[in-house]
Amino acid sequence: MSFLLAPEARAGRRPYRRLMNSTPLIERESLAVQTEGLGKRFGSRAALEGVDLEVPRGCAFGFLGPNGAGKTTLIRLLLGLAEPSAGRMRLLGRELPGGRAAALARVGAIVEEPRFHAHLTGRENLDVHCAARDRSAHARIEGALARVGLAGRADERVKAYSLGMRQRLGVARCLLADPELLVLDEPMNGLDPAGILEFRKLIGELVGEGRTVLLSSHLLDEVEKTCDLAAIVDQGRIVAQGSIGELAGGGPRAIDIVCHSPAAAARLLAAVPGVTRAGDHEGSLRVTLSPEAPVDREIVTELLRRLLDHGVAVERVAPVAASLEDRFLTMTTHLEDSHV
Amino acid sequence: MFDRRLIAADVLKLRRRRGMLSITLLLTLGSMALVFIVMAIQHAGNPAEYGPAGGLENYRENMSFLGLMALVVGAIVGATAGTQDLESGVFRDLAATGRSRTALFASRVTGAWAVVLPIIALAAGVSGAAATALAGSLAAPDAGALIAGTASVLAAAALGTAMAVGLSVLVGSRGPVIGILLAFYLAIQPLVIGMGFLGDVRQVMPAAALNRIGDLPQQGDLHVALAIAILAVIVWAASSLGLGAWRTRTREI
Repeated sequence: MSFLLAPEARAGRRPYRRLMNSTPLIERESLAVQTEGLGKRFGSRAALEGVDLEVPRGCAFGFLGPNGAGKTTLIRLLLGLAEPSAGRMRLLGRELPGGRAAALARVGAIVEEPRFHAHLTGRENLDVHCAARDRSAHARIEGALARVGLAGRADERVKAYSLGMRQRLGVARCLLADPELLVLDEPMNGLDPAGILEFRKLIGELVGEGRTVLLSSHLLDEVEKTCDLAAIVDQGRIVAQGSIGELAGGGPRAIDIVCHSPAAAARLLAAVPGVTRAGDHEGSLRVTLSPEAPVDREIVTELLRRLLDHGVAVERVAPVAASLEDRFLTMTTHLEDSHV
Repeated sequence: MFDRRLIAADVLKLRRRRGMLSITLLLTLGSMALVFIVMAIQHAGNPAEYGPAGGLENYRENMSFLGLMALVVGAIVGATAGTQDLESGVFRDLAATGRSRTALFASRVTGAWAVVLPIIALAAGVSGAAATALAGSLAAPDAGALIAGTASVLAAAALGTAMAVGLSVLVGSRGPVIGILLAFYLAIQPLVIGMGFLGDVRQVMPAAALNRIGDLPQQGDLHVALAIAILAVIVWAASSLGLGAWRTRTREI
């Protein structure tokens, strides 16, 4: 039985079910990561609570959340760096903690930021890491260095590396395991725009090879561009998970209108059924619609008719594409909320 | 539990610390060479006042000093071996490979021993050779004395390293553990051994036990049974290593 998704499914956004309030559709064996009711407490504070997460194999899965939401804690639990207070975990089809050693042998991970022995060279750092892996890992050092573009500087001490080079060396270290699953915690930190582009391409290639990438990040744009699926975590709980399209599509819908006398237009449109808000937005008039109201011909016609009937000239009408950022901001706790 | 590749990796990490290795060589081989050179020059300049640099008694005193230096370099190298993965943040990545944490700990101890013991053995060899070659009119150390002296300094190095690895892993920091161990070896331990009213309790002090193993001069009037000396060294090492292994297995990273 193949654990990987078909190439045609991988090429586009992969089919995915929403897991909230639904019965399992994906077989356990086809999941790279599965948690049930996972919890972690630090004293009286719950860092994670009742986390049910399913990451299918062969995809790039984004794990999104604001700082302190519990992203790194979940990764630490999966990697056996900390013990859960409640719940169950399966990694690459193996129940944890019993099957941890076998599962982690095929997992490459960067937690928070990649760390190295600064007094050793890049190659020596990989040598040291290989000693903890199976014997075949040594044979992968050159290939891994070449793949991340560090072959020419592998014999320099890591203390001379830039942050971006350390990130790339971290990825090379992940590749030594010939991983089925890569767990990357904020991997874009410290990369310049060209580096981010390269990194995005690399993740695409890794997924194309049938590997699973679990990418934890607070960079919404990157997750949107890199991942097929995502989960949003807030205050230790998963608040949504699904395909990027599904997650972004669940957010507020809006239409931008460029017209004369936008203040008068805002007053007129606020009274239209289905409109929750109408106001200035970067020089145009943004009309926010209720989630039930579709952005279709009917409502656009109604808005235009209302404006033209009252003598407001309209220059341009454009639906606002829903973004993951909009969705993220409506779902997660804002800094000001957390202090209430 | 003891994986050769892991041990080789730990040796590599220590070997590349050139500053630490230089200090280790200076404190052991360097100090032994210095002692013999100074004594030889003094003897050559004024044989009537200064005796030969070698001989059994000089050898015993030098080995007692080398034993102390072995504890000191054991503390430095052991604490470095115990904490270099933790302090660099690499331990998290090693633990995330699924490799047994006990094996990771065991490789630190053996890696540190693999660095320290050959240096101490070399220093002991140099000391023995010099004591024999420069004995002059004095009795040269016989095979028994050479073996006992070497065993004593190797035991000191092994114990000092084991204690430092275990305690530094327990504390999770290198500097404070080196400081505490040096204070113990150089100040607290001689003080405790000098407290006559403590009686036989003083036999469990590492320096007293190690000097007994090497049949080297003891501080004050202390007499230590050989079995107790061996047991004391084993208990000090085992308890430190046990604490370090436990902390390695249970540490949340």
